[in-house]
Amino acid sequence: MPPRIELPQGTLDLLILRCVANEPQHGWAISERLQQISNDVLRVQQGSLYPALHRLERRGWIAAKWGASENNRRAKFYSLTRKGEKQLDAERDAWEALTAAVAQVLRTA
Amino acid sequence: MLTDLQYRLRSLFRRRKVETEMDEELRFHYDHQVKKLMSSGATHDEAVRQARLVTGGAEQLKEECRDARGVQFVENFLRDLRYSLRMLRKSPGFTIVAVLTLALGIGANTAIFSVIDSVLLSPLPYPDPARLVTIKQNDSLQNIDDIRRQTKTLAKGGGLTTERMDYTGGSEPLQIRAAYVNAGLLETLDVAPMLGRLISPDEDVKGGPHNMVITHHFWREFLGADPNVIGRSLTLNGNRWSVIGVMPPTFSLPEDETDIFVSLWVAYPEAAPFRGVHFMRTYWRLNPNVTLEQAQADLDGIASRLARQYPDTEGKRQKTLVPLHQFLVGEIRPALLVLFGAVGLVFLIACANFAGLLTARAIARRQEFVLRASLGAGRARLLAQAIVESVVLSLLGGAAGLGLAKWGTSLLVSLEPADLDRFRGIQMDARLFTFIFALSLLTGIVFGLIPALGATDGNASNALKDSGRGTTAGKFSHAFRNVLVAAEFALALILLVAAGLMIKGFARLQSVSPGFNPSEVITMHLQLPITRYDKIPQQTAFRRHLLSRLNGLPGVEAAMVTDLPFGGNYLDHRFVIDGRPPVPVGNEPTVQTLSVMGDYFGVMEIPILAGRGLTESDRENQPLAAVVSEEFVRRFFPNENPLGARIDFARTNEPHQWMTIVGVARDVKHGTLNEPPEASMYSPFAQADEDWRRWMSLVVRQRGLAESSGLVAQIKQQVWAIDNQIPVSEIRSMEDWMSASLARQRFNMLLLGLFAGLAMLLAAVGIYGMMAYRVSQRTNEIGIHMALGAQRTDVLRFILADGAKLALGGIAVGVLGAAAVTRVMASLLFEVTPTAPATFVVTTFLLAAVALAACYIPARRATRVDPMVALRYE
Repeated sequence: MPPRIELPQGTLDLLILRCVANEPQHGWAISERLQQISNDVLRVQQGSLYPALHRLERRGWIAAKWGASENNRRAKFYSLTRKGEKQLDAERDAWEALTAAVAQVLRTA
Repeated sequence: MLTDLQYRLRSLFRRRKVETEMDEELRFHYDHQVKKLMSSGATHDEAVRQARLVTGGAEQLKEECRDARGVQFVENFLRDLRYSLRMLRKSPGFTIVAVLTLALGIGANTAIFSVIDSVLLSPLPYPDPARLVTIKQNDSLQNIDDIRRQTKTLAKGGGLTTERMDYTGGSEPLQIRAAYVNAGLLETLDVAPMLGRLISPDEDVKGGPHNMVITHHFWREFLGADPNVIGRSLTLNGNRWSVIGVMPPTFSLPEDETDIFVSLWVAYPEAAPFRGVHFMRTYWRLNPNVTLEQAQADLDGIASRLARQYPDTEGKRQKTLVPLHQFLVGEIRPALLVLFGAVGLVFLIACANFAGLLTARAIARRQEFVLRASLGAGRARLLAQAIVESVVLSLLGGAAGLGLAKWGTSLLVSLEPADLDRFRGIQMDARLFTFIFALSLLTGIVFGLIPALGATDGNASNALKDSGRGTTAGKFSHAFRNVLVAAEFALALILLVAAGLMIKGFARLQSVSPGFNPSEVITMHLQLPITRYDKIPQQTAFRRHLLSRLNGLPGVEAAMVTDLPFGGNYLDHRFVIDGRPPVPVGNEPTVQTLSVMGDYFGVMEIPILAGRGLTESDRENQPLAAVVSEEFVRRFFPNENPLGARIDFARTNEPHQWMTIVGVARDVKHGTLNEPPEASMYSPFAQADEDWRRWMSLVVRQRGLAESSGLVAQIKQQVWAIDNQIPVSEIRSMEDWMSASLARQRFNMLLLGLFAGLAMLLAAVGIYGMMAYRVSQRTNEIGIHMALGAQRTDVLRFILADGAKLALGGIAVGVLGAAAVTRVMASLLFEVTPTAPATFVVTTFLLAAVALAACYIPARRATRVDPMVALRYE
């Protein structure tokens, strides 16, 4: 198992927004997806995930809707709102600018 | 923004739905977790265990989600409120004691605060009151007119003197209170009449019209609130006076009570032109933007011009400007501030008790706190809950305190201290509510927080392990309670010492001999109408006639005097002694001047120490005789025999009429018991030469007969048998006069005593609660001691010693505090040094005894501990 990395402050919001950008997802799927895509490097605890989801919902960046899960249980699906799309773009740009800058420093300094 | 609000509101108002949805969402996650773990090969039990580990505490997670939803605060508050009310209902004993404790503290504070607010802080009831000033020294109308002509800093000014006038229109002749004023007076106070108009300057002249302005009270009580009263006329002192104006109900003079206002020039033209008789109080209004210093400098200039112009009467007089408000509250201010300090201490003690109660409760509920903490409640949440609970208590205490304050202030008013004339009971206004609310809220927060900090402190798992046995209760909390109890005793001792000194001073004051025997003496005031009694012979005839009739009544001894001791009136004259080197005019010494008739010294039981008293033979056409007081002899004849010496009033343009000193009487206190004796002089009414002193007070002693109302009726009958137009007023016993003169001291003493008693009671409750709690905590330990052979007396001694240590520690600190604090009170004490050791010793023992008594009950309980039961305890 590859070593796990602590998520820097604020990046969880960005990752959640990105996960629900394509289609509505429920909490469990979001955590599984993050883990799979990052090849097990990023593992989000329930204790961070759900408070983050509720917070994003309150800010109006994601919207929640109850629907049926793949095995037909009631589940709460989160989808990106228009406000959320803008937020995602802004946060992604900021993240890319930051990582590029950090990489630049690491390469040349 | 809108979504945010919607979201919060939904979370708040559809709470149950939102909560179930959250449960369902988290459950969904958990189930998937378990399934995933099982699919990777774990057994069901193993998977469940691991899923719990991964997901962490469910409650804690929910809390965090609630936090994220942003409604936590309101929601928690409502929940805490409900919870607190439930908990308080469940322990009514605790609730009642806590609420009562605070109610006492807050109530006493509110009562005194409302007095201070209305007496010291409220502005005077006149327009633009900051510009109103007074001159400390009374003045004459002539001087007032000169100041008004010359001043550049005073906009308006006026003076008044109060006199009684005979009102003979009603069923029996009455005396009403009249203010003899100049036109400037009401103009200066600047209050418009409710009906009619004020006295104008052109009416305020010699021979002006007999017009009067009346007060609202007089209009209502004597004139039936007649709306057409303007123009109505009444007979006063034998003249017809017309009503030209009625003042509004809120109006009163700054210092005097009166029924009517008349022009001095019209009512008393003889006195108006005298520059040298300074009998008027004066009030002035500063020009806008003029400071007191500028006005004082201006006034000093005027005073020195007057002194040069009229050296014999104005040569040595000062004129000191004082802001009117300061002048009026100056005397009572220190007393009120001491009382406010005293209630402040009571309040602190109440708070300490309150905090002590909460601490005990917090310790008892530590297990509950620990449990809740381990179930995921953060420390902040626990603290918030504790504070909500204590604030609920303190607000209840505040509300109950308000009730107490209302009752307390009506009690204050019923004590009728003259200084609180301006205080007419508690005003339930926004200011007062703010004061109480702020006080309660602050108390609740501060004293809820401190014990809660102690109780929620520390490691949860340790506490869980220990608390089952009831031995650990947080060192912080214990130390805090010890400090509280000791502090209560320190504060209580300060109050007790203060009250003790006050009581001692009062007792000493009451035991001061007034110089006469006041018991069984009835007094009343008579004033002869000027119309029929303007000359001395007529006055003397009336007096002599009346006394012979009164002394003819069985068992009655009657005499008369111009001004009664403690009656509030005082007249002095400058005088000279025959044969002594002349003194510059205006610099002669003064003597209090009294006229008497009948056996005044005998009736009042004033001992004649040398020579003789005045007799019936000291009358018209006989050598003028005078009796002087001991103090007069001490001051003016220190090493001489005064008998036979001759004195007379200082006269400028007349030949002397020497009076011979025939006797020396014991000193009589005239103003109050706590002032030094006056140099006084008594002369016979029959030999008087001042026809304007038409008044007299009867002093009547009826030996052996307690029933006095029949006597009063008989005396009135005798007066009216001679002249049915003479009013009889101020019918009071001599003891009433004396007791009225002690009203202020009695008021201070009663209140301070009450507060000290409250403080002692609260401190006793505090140490009792503390010791009862400790005994219950140490049941186990006591059981072991007893099992090992300790006797009941050992246990008793051991518990009492425990309590005594606390109380004595507090008392020791209190002694130091009291020594410092009581110095501040020096001005309120009569002949008592603030560090009087006896008072300290007595109060210290009293408080220590109370502490021991309070500890004794729990200690007794400790001795009844059955070792077997105690050891098995829990």
